[in-house]
Amino acid sequence: MSVILQAKELSKWYGQVIAVNKVSFSVGPGVIGLLGPNGAGKSTLMKLITGQLRPSQGEITLFGGRVWNNYPLFHRIGFCPEQDSFYERMTGAQFLAALVRMHGYEETEVQRRVDAVLETVSLTTARDKKIAAYSKGMRQRIKMAQAMAHDPEILILDEPLAGMDPVARHETIRMVREWGKAGKCVVVSSHILHEVEAMTQNILLMHNGQILAEGDVHQIRGLIDKHPHNVYLRCSEPRRLAALLVGFPDVESVRFHPDGRVLTIESRKPDEFYERLPDLLLSHEIELEEITSPDDNLQAVFHYLVK
Amino acid sequence: MPVRFSLAKGWRNVRTISFLTLDTLFWSKKTIFVAFISLIVLGMSVLGRLIMTYHWIRVPFTAAQVFGTLMSTAVIHFLVVFVTLFYGTALISDEVEGKTLTYLFVRPIPKPTILIGKYLALAWISVMLVLPTIVLSYVILYLQRDLQPFMQDIGLLAKDMGIVLLALLAYGSFFALIGAWLKHSILAGLIYAFGWEGIISYLPGFTRKLTITHYIQSIFPHQDSAAAIAMLIGERTDAVESVITLVLLAAFFLATASLILREKEYVLEQ
Amino acid sequence: MPIYDLGYRHWSGEWTSHPYRWWVITRQGINLLVHKRRFMALMALSAIPFMVRAVMLYLSSSVGRSLPLLQINGKFFEDFLSQQMFFTFIIAIYAGAGLISNDLKANALQIYLSKPITRRDYLIGKLGVLVFFLSLPTLVPALLLYLLAILFGTNLTYFRDNLWVLASIVAYSLAIVFTYALVMLALSSLSKSSRFAGINFAAVFFFSQILYGILSQILRTTWVAWVSLGNNLTQIGDLLFSSTAHYRCPTWLSAVVLAVLLTGSTWIVHNRVKAVEVVS
Repeated sequence: MSVILQAKELSKWYGQVIAVNKVSFSVGPGVIGLLGPNGAGKSTLMKLITGQLRPSQGEITLFGGRVWNNYPLFHRIGFCPEQDSFYERMTGAQFLAALVRMHGYEETEVQRRVDAVLETVSLTTARDKKIAAYSKGMRQRIKMAQAMAHDPEILILDEPLAGMDPVARHETIRMVREWGKAGKCVVVSSHILHEVEAMTQNILLMHNGQILAEGDVHQIRGLIDKHPHNVYLRCSEPRRLAALLVGFPDVESVRFHPDGRVLTIESRKPDEFYERLPDLLLSHEIELEEITSPDDNLQAVFHYLVK
Repeated sequence: MPVRFSLAKGWRNVRTISFLTLDTLFWSKKTIFVAFISLIVLGMSVLGRLIMTYHWIRVPFTAAQVFGTLMSTAVIHFLVVFVTLFYGTALISDEVEGKTLTYLFVRPIPKPTILIGKYLALAWISVMLVLPTIVLSYVILYLQRDLQPFMQDIGLLAKDMGIVLLALLAYGSFFALIGAWLKHSILAGLIYAFGWEGIISYLPGFTRKLTITHYIQSIFPHQDSAAAIAMLIGERTDAVESVITLVLLAAFFLATASLILREKEYVLEQ
Repeated sequence: MPIYDLGYRHWSGEWTSHPYRWWVITRQGINLLVHKRRFMALMALSAIPFMVRAVMLYLSSSVGRSLPLLQINGKFFEDFLSQQMFFTFIIAIYAGAGLISNDLKANALQIYLSKPITRRDYLIGKLGVLVFFLSLPTLVPALLLYLLAILFGTNLTYFRDNLWVLASIVAYSLAIVFTYALVMLALSSLSKSSRFAGINFAAVFFFSQILYGILSQILRTTWVAWVSLGNNLTQIGDLLFSSTAHYRCPTWLSAVVLAVLLTGSTWIVHNRVKAVEVVS
């Protein structure tokens, strides 16, 4: 994997407060979700990545070069900040054109890019309206547009779906996935887990300024030994199935649901459990109606690691 | 995409930033307020003209005297300082408070370019607001059937405009520096302009050279009572030296402001 | 009951009476500012003239009051308060520029006015912050100086002979405090930017003085002193302390100008502070 973004022992503090604490990670092409509760250090990390803050210690590099005061690098970076701030008197088209011009394009190219990106974020009809009159969703889309207009190789998106309606949200998620597939590096920061889950399975989980976990959600889940996996089974004979399952050493507990048809199994070796389950059901002629794992997801990973 | 610095490219970026800043400043409340103040100054010239024409006071005065008073009291000691303080401190502070600085900092342009572009916008807008006031005041006060006084002092008008331009550039760059550096830039600017300069310019010796106003007073052709007192205490600096110093000061403050912008971290409030 | 409900419970105690609700806003404003080191440094700096004057009082009582500089009369207190106007100006900007403008910027007025407080409570609360901090370099040290003048005297003669000075100190201080406070609040309510409010405040004071300078030179009279805010306050001070008037302008005219200014400021503030703004 080619490394696009890399942090080595990166720390940032403001006086006595350590916002980012010895963080090290590498990110290549694809989409990665930067997650964490409020105050985890995500925004500070985003600002370090986009060169708005200087590291107190360690280093952060993009395409092999340090970010702070390295302005040529910003041809390749697109940043969508969290704050809802604009030059309110400008129209959407004027705002985009002013920012795209700073990338050094000729005027015809500036206009072409502005037209194209407005089309992408479905703001063509509102291009000549002042940003002050935009709705929250439109403001968010114009913010995304300014990050994308110069076709950057890495996109840093801080809470990109905030304020968007479901259709725009769906479109944005689709766009982010496509960018990832096209080989761009996309770092998406959010504290809304299901949104991130819809975009990627790769995560960087932060808490109290430190990285708690990095990688695929499912792999991380598998490594969380402290919390055995929950498997939810609805079947025709739950008690008989439970009696069979308790004999296996990896099964930690079996709980019956009040409705009498569901049992929840806790297992430390979910792979072995899943392998064994079909044979068990067939040999004892137990009909399985439903099987799910309620905690093999980002929510559970977040909950177990952070709380 | 390979990037090579070139003067043409740099100038293009400066121009883009300038136009962006002008666009936000032009119809803002700030500009309307400053234009209103300029109109009051014009109003003073109208009043002066009416008094001269209809002899409302017993001891007459000339157009030159009124124009000189307006220039030294209202324009140099107030309007120039006020306009540059207003716009200069806002150059970066407005972007920080409005949280739009991020958009500029994540563009492939050097941070000093941002400051220079904004400074040019400041220079342009303050010139547009102040110089026409001076010209119109001159016309209102001097214009009569006999054009001789009007033409006689036109060189003085040109000199005044040149000095005011220098003053705008010097003060503008100083307040841009304060705005880039300090959080409470308005207070610091007010303390400098109406505190430090008010006190130090009356002190003898070298201390007076630690103010921008000293160099402006040294080349200013009109005398007000404050300048007269100041000149009694100390000497004027040579005119050529004063002009060069003002230009160098403007360049120095601008360079320092650029350096601060480049190295300082601006933490935008969440 | 054996197991107590520890969930949300309604307040069954006494409610504070309505007349004091403005105090919550004032107290909060004061708390926010006293934790700012630079502001407290400014307040400490404003105490220096008081200390100088206290030394003068001491010298006057020990060396004697023969020296003109050590004459402790009404003018002594008037000069002190007039000199303190510089610090009052700076403190008004620091403490007052953002008082209402920051609330406008953050859309906090809706939150304030959705609580059981009225617009009047809000405005009095905000005014209270400024009155508190502007009194600290003016009324409070002036009263302390007056007290020191009595204490440094060998008998109560000074107090008997100068009882009227106490009233003048209070009146002049309040005139200065309320003028600065109301004008600052009005300007703060006109903008969402505290910087804009601060600079407008400076413009009002300095430009009015410049205007006076130009008019007095053109018209060759100090009768136009009423144009300047600072000069109007000085005229009031001259009247209250029975000093020779600085300007030829009649004191009643200065009083009327100040009254109009304060009324206008109050009207502006009252109209600008609304929970909802209707944009047509």
